[in-house]
Amino acid sequence: MNDDATTKEGWRLLRATLKQQKRGLTAGIAVGLLWTIGKIAVPQLTRFAIDRGIERGGSLLSWTLLILAAAVIAGFFSGFRRFFAFRESRLTETILREKLFAHLQGLHVGFHDRTQTGQLMSRASSDLQQIQGFVVMIPITISNVGMIIGAVIILIATDPVLAIFALTPLPFVNIAFRRFSDRIHETVLKVQQEQAQLANVVEETVSGVRVIKGFGAELVQARKLQKEADDIQAVSLQASRIRSRFLPAIDLLPTLGLIAVLGVGGHRVMNGDMSVGELVAFNAYLTLLVWPLRNIGMTVAMGQRAASALLRVHEILSEESIITDPKSPVVLPKPALAQPVGAVSFKDVSFSYEVGHTDVRVLGGLTLDIAPGESLAIVGATGSGKSTITRLLLRFYDPQSGLITLDGVDLRALRLRDLRSSIGVVFEDTLLFHDTVSANIAFAKPDVDFSVVQNAAKLASAHEFIRQLPDGYDTLIGERGYSLSGGQRQRIAIARAIVADPRVLVLDDATSAVDPTKEHEIRDALATVMRGRTTLVIAHRPATIELADRVALLDDGKIVATGTHVEMLASNDRYQEVLASWSVAKEES
Amino acid sequence: MWSDSAISEEDKLNRTQTQAVLRRSLRMAKPFRRSVAAVFLFVMVSVICTLAGPLLVRYGIDSGIRKNNSRTLNIAVGGYACVALLSYVVSRGQIISVNIAGEGFLRLLRLRVFDKIQKQSMSFFDREKAGVLVSRMTADIESMAELVQWGLLGFMAAFLLLVLALVLLFALSWQLTLVALLVLPILVIASVKFQRDSNKAYLEIREKVGSNLSALQEGITGVRVIQAYAREGEQIRRFEESNQDLFRSHMHSVRVTTWYFGLVEFSGIAASALMVGIGGWLVHRQDVSLGTVVAFVLLLANLFDPVQQLSQLYNTLQSATAALHKLFTIIDAVPDVGEAPAPIELPRDGDLVVDSVTFTYEAGTRPALQDVSITVTAGQRLALVGPTGAGKSTLAKLMARLYDPDIGIVTFGGVDLRQASFVSLRDRIVVIPQEGFLFDGTIRENLLIAKPNATDAQIIEALTNLQLLERFEAFPEGLNTEVQERGTRLSAGERQLVALSRAALIDPAVLVLDEATSNLDPGTEHDIERALEKLMQGRTVVVVAHRLSTVRRADRIAVVSDAQVTEFGTHDELISLGGHYSVLAATWAQSQPQ
Repeated sequence: MNDDATTKEGWRLLRATLKQQKRGLTAGIAVGLLWTIGKIAVPQLTRFAIDRGIERGGSLLSWTLLILAAAVIAGFFSGFRRFFAFRESRLTETILREKLFAHLQGLHVGFHDRTQTGQLMSRASSDLQQIQGFVVMIPITISNVGMIIGAVIILIATDPVLAIFALTPLPFVNIAFRRFSDRIHETVLKVQQEQAQLANVVEETVSGVRVIKGFGAELVQARKLQKEADDIQAVSLQASRIRSRFLPAIDLLPTLGLIAVLGVGGHRVMNGDMSVGELVAFNAYLTLLVWPLRNIGMTVAMGQRAASALLRVHEILSEESIITDPKSPVVLPKPALAQPVGAVSFKDVSFSYEVGHTDVRVLGGLTLDIAPGESLAIVGATGSGKSTITRLLLRFYDPQSGLITLDGVDLRALRLRDLRSSIGVVFEDTLLFHDTVSANIAFAKPDVDFSVVQNAAKLASAHEFIRQLPDGYDTLIGERGYSLSGGQRQRIAIARAIVADPRVLVLDDATSAVDPTKEHEIRDALATVMRGRTTLVIAHRPATIELADRVALLDDGKIVATGTHVEMLASNDRYQEVLASWSVAKEES
Repeated sequence: MWSDSAISEEDKLNRTQTQAVLRRSLRMAKPFRRSVAAVFLFVMVSVICTLAGPLLVRYGIDSGIRKNNSRTLNIAVGGYACVALLSYVVSRGQIISVNIAGEGFLRLLRLRVFDKIQKQSMSFFDREKAGVLVSRMTADIESMAELVQWGLLGFMAAFLLLVLALVLLFALSWQLTLVALLVLPILVIASVKFQRDSNKAYLEIREKVGSNLSALQEGITGVRVIQAYAREGEQIRRFEESNQDLFRSHMHSVRVTTWYFGLVEFSGIAASALMVGIGGWLVHRQDVSLGTVVAFVLLLANLFDPVQQLSQLYNTLQSATAALHKLFTIIDAVPDVGEAPAPIELPRDGDLVVDSVTFTYEAGTRPALQDVSITVTAGQRLALVGPTGAGKSTLAKLMARLYDPDIGIVTFGGVDLRQASFVSLRDRIVVIPQEGFLFDGTIRENLLIAKPNATDAQIIEALTNLQLLERFEAFPEGLNTEVQERGTRLSAGERQLVALSRAALIDPAVLVLDEATSNLDPGTEHDIERALEKLMQGRTVVVVAHRLSTVRRADRIAVVSDAQVTEFGTHDELISLGGHYSVLAATWAQSQPQ
């Protein structure tokens, strides 16, 4: 797709969203036009008041009351013009953000693996703000255009000659403001970049303070900071030079019109071609036009920024998940006495990750069978692809070739929801959500009884420490909540998997963050959970590996040997080698 | 437009605090007094120009048009043109000069605060959260940028304009001024109320934006767990709640502005209606001229706009003084580990002696060390072992003067560390933390942290001594390889190698080492062991040990338990003592096959 076409896609996205807001937008535009009428009436009424009331000694009361009426109209609708404009633009932002979030939740893990969190965050925050900033301008700009057209018509009708003199400088206000908006935006971005660099120096100084103090390197950092502070100052001054070039000029232009009105208009009044009231009205109209003209300049500049923001948002929304539900899903066999469930089988599975443009092969012809209720530990060197097995089992990725089945059903034939709710995973990196402890444990089944939650916590040896938290099970945890130790988090993650009561349990390096002296507690918990349940264990510690009925050695993308831990330790050199390399690396007190 | 600044109740300063902050800022702005003086001058001229326009229109109407005197009209027009040009020139000057002063001030503030942060002792960094310090240096200072760019200028100009416009209006016609003053109070009261309400509304938005962003981030970083448990629907619903919350808080602020802007618009036009009506009547009575009425209509904006501006700048000013107050507090903090007034050079070598030291991290808490005495003779290796939190790391840190003891003394070669010059202290005693921390930049720049003026030859010598030169040169661009994002390009082990090389560059007499507890990549383990062994040769070493192998290589072992040194001696001595150490050594021997 070329640039133009994709830009159009971006605008189409905005149009589709705005369609849902037709009523609010129409109301905003209507209110804006009523405001325009009130505003435009004032100079006309003032003119009549001067010419007919003051100059000819007529009654002033009616004109005064009419201007007051215009004040009421303009005041009332001015507030509502803003109200509708902002409400609709915030609504657009809210709708798009919801859409974006929902879309991201459904996108395959492969997409998330190659996209930085920060990128996605800025799509859903700063890009949407750009779009919001533009949508606000839509109804406001329409009423502004109405005002410009109305005022210009009145001026030309009143005195075409003077109108030409007075109006000539005004288009330049628009042009200058548009250019100013672009230029200043560029420099503001530069200032932000410099500020980010300074923040980086401060951040690394604070987190590296031990090193800095240890070596007395304060001066080195001070010099770095001075450079960044100088840069910020330089770019900020550059911005102020742009302001000084444009803003006073933008103020000067309409004044030139006012001078022309006084000069040319004054002589026309003396010649009897024009009344004083008309002169004053001219003056007032010119003043009235300044803001709408600036505003349109700003709208154009914001439209350009919104267009690129829309494009970036559209890019994500048009990304399709490559892991989807099958058209006609198969249902997993129900567990029965005669037919235990939880059989997992990998048949000749090959898988490569795409890194840049090259494929990095991780698994090549992996075959593995786990019987219902059996527990199997996978042992392999760092980078041998142990965790990839988990990812394939969850269908985070699909293998390039081969077949993976759960209870005899091809994973791809299962509804994703069915597949994933039959597999419970405890990840190495235990992510907890900003919620209560019990909500985190009941994550998979939010409606379960508290007793189930408590039982799971007991099984995971988490009950004791949870009870000692400030609010027990109701303690808020997660990023902004009470901070737990690695081992505590891990135990909550195990409890979470227990509540899910899955057919297959996967422990992906689940004990790595647990203090070795506490490991035995968790080991007991794990042993209880694993009993009678198909379990895949990926672990580094011999103690955890020993929990499994059987061990499979993964090397060069395949299973090269299986057996019990004791057998393998006695007979397999490579197995010994892999375990030894871990114990050197992970030898701990 | 209304400003985004908002300030919470607890951040607000009282009158004395505000005055102190303002006086202090003025003192700090002294280097920029020329620019500040220029700003005052420019603002003055520019305000006068603003008021001169309507006056010249009045003159043109009353003395020119009404008297049919085209010469006078031409003078008025010419004068107006001159005033407009002058105003243009002055505006340019004022924008530039206010920024020169303001940005200069902010730069100075950045340097001072950072300098002071760096001078603080470790206990300061234990106390303060990293995020808070970073936001002092960024958000707090940046919050003043708005003020510097146009806020102060706007404030001064609005104030001057308001005062001068009132004076001028009175001089032109006291009757019409009284009419204008009928409307003004409505605007003032509305503006004050709006300032309060919008402040509250904006604080609410800020909070909701924060929680919305957290919810967003949680949904994105947690997507693997969410999908693994098939909880997408639930998460989307939760996010929608937070999103709607944010929308509602925006709407709250929109409602606050709706009535205010309506009222402002109304009162502006209503005031001109009164001017025309009452002014016209006065013209009929021949109390004022038509030109005066027109001038009043034109000048009214100069009375009303400043009121709005002042009320909106009030929030900005308040949050800026609050930020300044926090920053000055940092600048005023006295570091509790400072350099002695007449520092002494530490001797090249000597014993490291800890004598009857008691140390508490926070007043009122249990001491981390209680009456500890221990001597490390020159060239000896001491291993500190013991349970987590018993005080072994604290003891190591006191030996490097990262903290000062509350009671007792730490000496090196007979000199109290508190009397030693910082330069000689850092040259003799080097601390290597548990994790190799890297700064943005190249590997070379990271080494130079230790010794900024080291030559290439010295770097190469240090690396050769540790047998690491080849390893570093194997990087794509050798020592000039960028470590990227705080060293993500280097493994944990490689980062540790950089840390060791830094120490080698200094060539200290004493090494204080906090041994890594775990997780070094197997590939570098061997290199680290070797480099460490080389580095320790011929030096006094204090190591907080977590491994049996390290302890076995030490000359002396100290068991730190319950804030005290409970056992001290060689491995064999302590084993035969049959105390804590012998138990520890036994468990280690079991779990660590070596």
